[in-house]
Amino acid sequence: MRRLTLALTLGLMASTAAHADVTVYSAGPGALIKNLVKGFTAKTGIKANVFQATTGKVMARLEAESANPVADVVVSASWGTATSFAEKGLLLPYTSPNAETVPDFLKTDTAVAQGVAGLVIGWNTKSGTPKPTDWSDLTKPEYKDLVTLPDPAASGGTYTLVEAFTANGMTDVLEGLKDNGAIVAGANKAALNPVLQGAKAAVFAGVDYITMGAAAKGESVEAIFPESGTVVAPRPIMILKSSQNQDDAKKFVDYVLSPEGQNEVAKVHLMPSRTDIKVDRPLIGDLKLLSTEGAPSREEVLAGFKKIFN
Amino acid sequence: MAKATTTGAEGSALLRWIATSGLLLVVAVPCLFIIIQAIFPDIGSGSLAAPFSLFFRTLSDPDLFGLAGNTLLLGVGTVFFAALFAVPLAALRALFKVPGAIIWDALLLIPFMIPPYIAALGWIMTLQPHGYMEQVTGINLAGLIFSVPGIMIIMGLNTFSVVYFVLSRTFETIGARYSDVGRVFGAGQWRSFWRITFPLAMPGLAASLLLVFAMSIEEYGTPAALGRRIGFDVLVTGIENRISEWPIDLPGSATLSLVLVGMALVAFMIQRWLLTRRDYRIVSGKPQASDKRALGLWAVPVSLYFGFITFLATGLPILAILATALSRTISGGLTAENMGMDNFNELLGKGSEGLVALGNSLALGVSTALLAGLLGAITAYSVVKGRGRFRLVLDALSITPNSLPGVVVAVGIILAWNQPWLPITPYNTPFILLLAYICILLPQPVRYATASLHQLGDNLESAARVSGSGPLKAFIRIIFPLILPSMVTSMILVFAVASRELVASLLVAPIGFQTIAVYIWTQFDQGSAGLGMAMAFCAIMITTLIPLGLIGLLRWLSKGQVAGLN
Repeated sequence: MRRLTLALTLGLMASTAAHADVTVYSAGPGALIKNLVKGFTAKTGIKANVFQATTGKVMARLEAESANPVADVVVSASWGTATSFAEKGLLLPYTSPNAETVPDFLKTDTAVAQGVAGLVIGWNTKSGTPKPTDWSDLTKPEYKDLVTLPDPAASGGTYTLVEAFTANGMTDVLEGLKDNGAIVAGANKAALNPVLQGAKAAVFAGVDYITMGAAAKGESVEAIFPESGTVVAPRPIMILKSSQNQDDAKKFVDYVLSPEGQNEVAKVHLMPSRTDIKVDRPLIGDLKLLSTEGAPSREEVLAGFKKIFN
Repeated sequence: MAKATTTGAEGSALLRWIATSGLLLVVAVPCLFIIIQAIFPDIGSGSLAAPFSLFFRTLSDPDLFGLAGNTLLLGVGTVFFAALFAVPLAALRALFKVPGAIIWDALLLIPFMIPPYIAALGWIMTLQPHGYMEQVTGINLAGLIFSVPGIMIIMGLNTFSVVYFVLSRTFETIGARYSDVGRVFGAGQWRSFWRITFPLAMPGLAASLLLVFAMSIEEYGTPAALGRRIGFDVLVTGIENRISEWPIDLPGSATLSLVLVGMALVAFMIQRWLLTRRDYRIVSGKPQASDKRALGLWAVPVSLYFGFITFLATGLPILAILATALSRTISGGLTAENMGMDNFNELLGKGSEGLVALGNSLALGVSTALLAGLLGAITAYSVVKGRGRFRLVLDALSITPNSLPGVVVAVGIILAWNQPWLPITPYNTPFILLLAYICILLPQPVRYATASLHQLGDNLESAARVSGSGPLKAFIRIIFPLILPSMVTSMILVFAVASRELVASLLVAPIGFQTIAVYIWTQFDQGSAGLGMAMAFCAIMITTLIPLGLIGLLRWLSKGQVAGLN
């Protein structure tokens, strides 16, 4: 009991002593934010504390804390959060000197992409099915009952793809998937897991870095960029206006956009947002991108998807 | 409950005061903020603008009917399967000399220790096409597991041990003695069981089935893992989605939580009504001989039956967890070259991170068990033996968190404890997790203590008062030792759940503070399912061995004097 009290007291002291440091709320991947913080502290001597969860959980915590905000820097996996925060006037305008080579569509006055994820077909190479090359391949009889897709309500990336399909009149592919017995299986990981074990052959609208990460671990899965084009999901990093620690928060953003920081981004198979960082994987410039211009509102896109899959 | 005849057993004012202030701090404060959140959508930023603007919109959502109906269906179905698995086992265990009874008890403790989302994942990986079962036997049961009855069976297997432990203790206390009276008067063995033993066990059965109902309508992991695949959404997944998916809808989730609380309160009223219809007091201070019958020829089939149910509830999930933890890659399957200790080496050799998380969770689990157990016993005592209208308020307040999803408790706690005007706050320290866990788990010790207090005659306490002890002393010296066996069981349950709680921990954990569940979740999120399962396996082993050691120690200390521990 005494050791327990000691442990709790030490924990209490540790977390109160940490108040002057930069506090970062980050959506996954956990390894990336851990290495970024490690590198940042080594370079600047400033400590950083991390709360890591999904984009939704990070946003829920920010919303519940809004009377008395704790975070200085927020990293999300959905660009829409940055737009919405900016509209509510929650963000500190800042343009990092390291953001010069970041393309314009990946930065605003108040946010800049930490890295970019692409949407792919995640295909199990040992599934005994032919290798798909385009989205519509998965509507063929060879893939009957063998396809999963993440729920666009739970996965920002899948949402953007469905949005683009809606804008480009490609929803017949989604209908074909439904007719072919594809199932909607929760968030990104829940959709990939059955493919790894072989219960399913492919994820439609998988996230590239997650699929590549699994392949790097030795799983028999491959990330395929479809011929007809795909969408990307930039991951915004932003500083809250309420931060008591704005100078250090800016230094953190600078570090993330420095060559060292961008190399950490590349290590987890994300595309770096800076165009002058060279890595061994398809980059934004190499991808054929589908436009989401002319897409209806989020509610309508999701309602259209639900209509097909229910 | 024969209120009029209580003599000097009306409870101590000090205990009542402790129960009231404890419940206010731990339960009422976060609940109040959830209600405020449901009414005032912008309370998070300290504004009272636009009251009720979202409240009625959420309640008039046509989906709500479906969600509420599914929740009810799932709750009732789970209770059915839990009772189906538990009642025969408990009756056999309590009334007969079952071979290896203590071993079965120990094995049936393990389902408490397996996080439900991990168990669900284990079942999926075993039964789906190309899963472990198909790899071993060539057949898969995907049709069963991805169905509504499949979800009910799995949740029944996860929860039936709650009923088993309460009921076997209750049957044991009733003993064969009462039914012997029936048999003397000519009733057959079955008849005396159904007419005497079973009705007298009603408080235990009702309390534990209510607990299962509340646990299953509040459970997130299993419906999320299995239900989402077949479009079976319940209130909790609806609430969780509103909090976890951008754009966040805190007022909507708070409103849905109130619907869920309403459901649990109705179940609670039904339980009260059942209990107050009759007098269930069976512990009168007379010495009781515990005389169990021998099974004779039936020993083998009974053992096989115990073995079968235990394998489904404990063996299969553990084997699936172990298989995943030992696999280098998931796509590699169950082949010799894909098996290795890599994940365990990484977990234990990586230095600290996983071990720190283990330490944190164990410390929090033990503190929660002690504090919740104490507060629960005091609350139950004030409710059962006290007088006045406040009893109902205390009782209702103590069951409320049972139906609040962890994620909503977490939001209520953040709203309550992160106010800028608070001079000192546990927020962002490990104490906030302690508060959250006690709030979520308090209903368990309260239910267990209430059930055993209902069986305690007032005359024991009256005797103590007549012999000159004050109400406090009577509680400590007479009541507390008598309800201790039930309390130990419930505290083990609290310890097990607290040390693996996920949804609330994920949201309110202090920055940089990891618990077992958060660690496992992070591993899954990074695609290291094997490492997560290795941690889950170690955590299950540790959280099982600690309570077992504790029970062994208690038995040794009490030398069998405390009933129910054997």
